[in-house]
Amino acid sequence: MPRKVRIAGAKATAEAVKAANVDVICSYPIRPYTGTMIELARMVADGELDAEFVHGEGEHAQLSVVLGASAAGARVFTGTSGVGATYAFELYSPIAGEFHPVQCMIANRTLDPPGDFGSEHTDALSARDQGWLMGWAASPQEAYDNTLIYYRLGEDPRVMLPQFPCQDGYFISHISGEVELADSDQVEEFLPPFNPRNKLDPRQPVLMGPQCRADQGAAIELGRAEAMVRAREVIPSVIADFNRVFGRNYSPFLQEYMTEDADMVFFGQGAHTVPARLAAERLRKDGLKVGVVQLRFMRPFPTDEVAEALSRFKVVGVLEISNSFGAVYDSGPVTAEVLSALYYAPAQPKVLTFLGGLGGENIRLADYYEMARAMKAAADAERLKKRVFWLGFEPLHVA
Amino acid sequence: MAQARLGAQKPDKIEIADYEPIRSMRNVPTTEYYVPGHRTCGGCMPALAYRLTALAAGPNTVFAGPTGCMYVANTSYLCGPWAVPWIHTQITNGGAVISGIAAAYKAMIRKGKYDGEYPNIICFAGDGGSSDIGLQALSGAMYRNHDLLFITYDNEAYANTGIQVSPMTPYGAYTTFTPPGKVVPDAKPLFPKDLLKMVAAGHPAVKYLATASVSYPLDLMNKVRKALAVKGPTFMHIHAPCPKGWSFEAHRGPEIGKLAVETGMWTLYEIEDGHVKVNVRPRKWRPVKDYVATQGRFSHLTDEMIQRLQAFVDAKLADLGLEAEPPTPVPPVAG
Repeated sequence: MPRKVRIAGAKATAEAVKAANVDVICSYPIRPYTGTMIELARMVADGELDAEFVHGEGEHAQLSVVLGASAAGARVFTGTSGVGATYAFELYSPIAGEFHPVQCMIANRTLDPPGDFGSEHTDALSARDQGWLMGWAASPQEAYDNTLIYYRLGEDPRVMLPQFPCQDGYFISHISGEVELADSDQVEEFLPPFNPRNKLDPRQPVLMGPQCRADQGAAIELGRAEAMVRAREVIPSVIADFNRVFGRNYSPFLQEYMTEDADMVFFGQGAHTVPARLAAERLRKDGLKVGVVQLRFMRPFPTDEVAEALSRFKVVGVLEISNSFGAVYDSGPVTAEVLSALYYAPAQPKVLTFLGGLGGENIRLADYYEMARAMKAAADAERLKKRVFWLGFEPLHVA
Repeated sequence: MAQARLGAQKPDKIEIADYEPIRSMRNVPTTEYYVPGHRTCGGCMPALAYRLTALAAGPNTVFAGPTGCMYVANTSYLCGPWAVPWIHTQITNGGAVISGIAAAYKAMIRKGKYDGEYPNIICFAGDGGSSDIGLQALSGAMYRNHDLLFITYDNEAYANTGIQVSPMTPYGAYTTFTPPGKVVPDAKPLFPKDLLKMVAAGHPAVKYLATASVSYPLDLMNKVRKALAVKGPTFMHIHAPCPKGWSFEAHRGPEIGKLAVETGMWTLYEIEDGHVKVNVRPRKWRPVKDYVATQGRFSHLTDEMIQRLQAFVDAKLADLGLEAEPPTPVPPVAG
């Protein structure tokens, strides 16, 4: 029987890793993801989970160890945060390019400088173009579920891609919520054992990662691109299967909230979409029809779904919890994707960007109200003077 | 002579599984696992080191190859010379990748997910991928008590990128990053790291370490077999002359490898459970200048510089209990 517990996202992920019966785990300490590893270390020490628990000598080693283990045919887990995610960067492309479906959770943390424990999406988003599946959880339950969903999706023979299930550091990783833990029958039904076609088995020798000629390189990269396209095609059926087995109600790509009659929406990923929902509810009293669209996968980016969904509204306010210095309109990576997706959309909403939550700063409810009023002003304005705002540093005057 | 000991306290005794030593060159197995189909340079001694290692290890083997000559020249055009599984690793992380492979086999065998025998897991890394950018991963692999073998094939430079200095490049050697010039006449002014001692001294799980040379193939193959039979992490450092990098004629590799041992520039020894055993001890050491004279990379060295190199070699030999007679005086600083 599934049972309900109150745990934070970090622990929820550890519970899901245990449910997935992984074979090799590689650790290295960095806050805030450490919470997951501490829990896994205990599970292995107590015999709750039969896995090799390898103490990596750094994040670069963590990703290297799980690469080797996955290549040998093991289901693997590792994780990191902040500068740990950037220290490991060299391995992201080899892991994805050689189709090792490694799972590396990221509990997001701001990069240096300054030394800051705070949550921010820049760490993971810096690696968004390396060929990994990537998306954010907005609750401990979703963190738990995503680990199982990502293993199923990443290990699908049509996909075979590594995965970054992300959760906002602290906001998700360290704040408790109700989590329904699966029972083993459910996991068994949803997640088949990992049995890759190619592995480092002396009984059937293979060559992994050889050098190639310049004219062979592009073909290999096309293969990687096609795997990502296939992942986009596979996601709806995997989510439908997950909903069926676990009794959940996820949309594959975009979780919408109070959008039916909405004129404008907050668009974002992860924890910050939760207070956005509360704000949307309360703003109805002021006559502001605000909804929330939560992006569940950043990679593969659901272009058509985003274009179709967002073109229904007058204004989209992107919650940009990441930096991309010098980016288009000096906005951020999510805005850049949204604007690109909307270029061929049936209708173009006005798009505002709110850079906020950086360095772990809290976006308060009052901020959401102010953002909503700015969106309303944008809806009413003929032309926008300013579309990108640093929350808390400048008035949100759009016209 | 009292036996030298190397390494920290090692509470666990060495455990060696049964293995079959190769008694003579006539008994060398004939089934090759490193076969034609690569494009290493003519006279490439690292390629020979690979071939001998693969011969000794046999079919139940997984190789990991960090970036270097033995990656690039061996796997051009998506093909490779191994008849056993092989995986590329970054130049940075050979030790970590084989750690993962070892952990995977341990877990999969325990959990009934793999019904074969635990394989020989070997990282075949260059000197840069071991003593320089790969040192951290090497240390991690040696520290964590995985059952694996890390081999450094040492051609004393980053050869694949066009002969650049590495921590294993000898004093006085020309590389494209250490050209001799007016200000730095001796080309490489530093003496090399002692990688084997570094591994031996700081990694209590390592019970067997050995140096080897491609010029002593039987010794090399038997050390590979022994290293694989020893439980836990083991380490081998193989001297492998590089005709292109050191500037000598392609056919002279075996001779130069031998000369390195005869001059003390390279020493064949093993450390088993902390006990040092020297495998080849010439009756009389030949002077380093005989070795230096065979290679273009040393052609700019003055007598004084050669003497400096000789003094370094004397000290190294003395440290192993192989006193050269009489000790060479350290030359005075040039005035």
